[in-house]
Amino acid sequence: MATGDDLEGRLAMQYEPATYRRRIAGHDVIIHCHHYNARLQRTLEGARGIDGKGLIASTAESVFADHLARAGRPEDDEATRLALAELLYARLGFGRIDLGRLAEGVVTASSSHFVEGWLAGLGQSERNVCTFTEGYLQAAVFAVLGAAVTVRETECMARGAACCSFVVERGERGSSPRIAPAPNRKQAGVPVPAERGGPFVRSANVDEQAIIDAVVGIPMVGDAAGLIPAFSVYLANMPADFYNQVCIGFVEAMRGLGREKAAMRLLVSDAEHCGMNTFRGIMHSPEWDGLIAPMVRDRADALIAIIAISNALGWGDWHITAHTPTSLALESRYGYEAVGFREYRGEASTPQCAMLTGVAAGVMELVYGEGTVEDRYGTFASHEESCVSCGAPACIFTVERVE
Amino acid sequence: MHRERVPACVHPETYKYFLERDAVLATWERLAARYGAPRRDPSFRTMEVVAPRFRVRATLLGNPVTVLRQRACTPADIEELHALLGYRE
Ligand SMILES: [Zn+2]
Ligand SMILES: [Zn+2]
Repeated sequence: MATGDDLEGRLAMQYEPATYRRRIAGHDVIIHCHHYNARLQRTLEGARGIDGKGLIASTAESVFADHLARAGRPEDDEATRLALAELLYARLGFGRIDLGRLAEGVVTASSSHFVEGWLAGLGQSERNVCTFTEGYLQAAVFAVLGAAVTVRETECMARGAACCSFVVERGERGSSPRIAPAPNRKQAGVPVPAERGGPFVRSANVDEQAIIDAVVGIPMVGDAAGLIPAFSVYLANMPADFYNQVCIGFVEAMRGLGREKAAMRLLVSDAEHCGMNTFRGIMHSPEWDGLIAPMVRDRADALIAIIAISNALGWGDWHITAHTPTSLALESRYGYEAVGFREYRGEASTPQCAMLTGVAAGVMELVYGEGTVEDRYGTFASHEESCVSCGAPACIFTVERVE
Repeated sequence: MHRERVPACVHPETYKYFLERDAVLATWERLAARYGAPRRDPSFRTMEVVAPRFRVRATLLGNPVTVLRQRACTPADIEELHALLGYRE
């Protein structure tokens, strides 16, 4: 069996300063927090007429079957493959899974990013919330045993259980026999931009590079519980492929019901809340107080610092091109949504970057708004004017205060 | 000393405790004696002690301190921590 050091080495993060991308075992990962992940899940699973739960599980299965295959080695024995599946999950910040009773068809989880996120962000849940984990476990079983299975959560900590429990069901899902998880099929995306764009709005007070270096310097790996409590929120490293596939799949499923525009609005709204909540948590954190608050003299400085952090989290390679207290313009040359759309679907006819569109409004509402999150929500309107997914050189976002 | 609730965090009951200025050093000595030496992060200029069911985090100045509870954190855990911080509700 491979040693722990060997497995950790395979999952070491590589950072690419030109695009701010983080890569782990061949997959670009994006760092989001529990607020965003819980809301996105609620939106997908709550939409009537589509199988949002199935979309999340099958996407996690497809993406992590690929991720685990890339992290694996031909000579890995079963024990190594098992340890690798547990370790990848924990290091990415999703929690702790125990595959020790896989032979009996039982998996347990003693901690979960999704349970913590749901309870902290959305409150008590009526039902089990670890849909993502079901899909991950299907990928893990395939990586370890080579069998396509269906995993169902039977008990969940979100409903008061001591740990989350899953059963592994072999054989067929639905009517068609499955031999393997769906391949994570992509085409060549968008080349890394040769130029940085701009000119960008900077502040003499804010050392953006120091912020980015500090955030990139934190080992963003799960702790003993497989969780990443940083900036007073729970963070997780999610493959960009997962976000892109679930969001594209959601919009396409809703299109089938004639509700494509509503789907985009929902995705933008989740990100708008995320922009406010995530950065509200971050701005109250000791990390902000220690490094960033001393650089911030006014609200514009806070906004520039927030965008620097979001770049270090891998969100978009985006920068401010114009800014007043009532308006904001941003340019992104390598956002994961636009690049991902091109990889999965080719050139788009309309802009696709719902997350960045919503976050752009959310951060303005946070920095310049007053009152509770709900008071602030909707007080700024954001629009993606052009998008890399449509062939433009940059995604351009404009935000205006709603009068 | 007083405390303020911190919004949008890992736990709904997340607070910043504002220590009396002359109590900061002694408080961190008590935290270290009970929960282990603080870990320092030089790039963010923060430090923290990690207890089994919560973390106490602050800038290197040591004040205020943010207490990040895990879900499993019990009233007894918090009672003990409050006694150590010298905080009374
Ligand atoms: Zn669960
Ligand atoms: Zn775009």
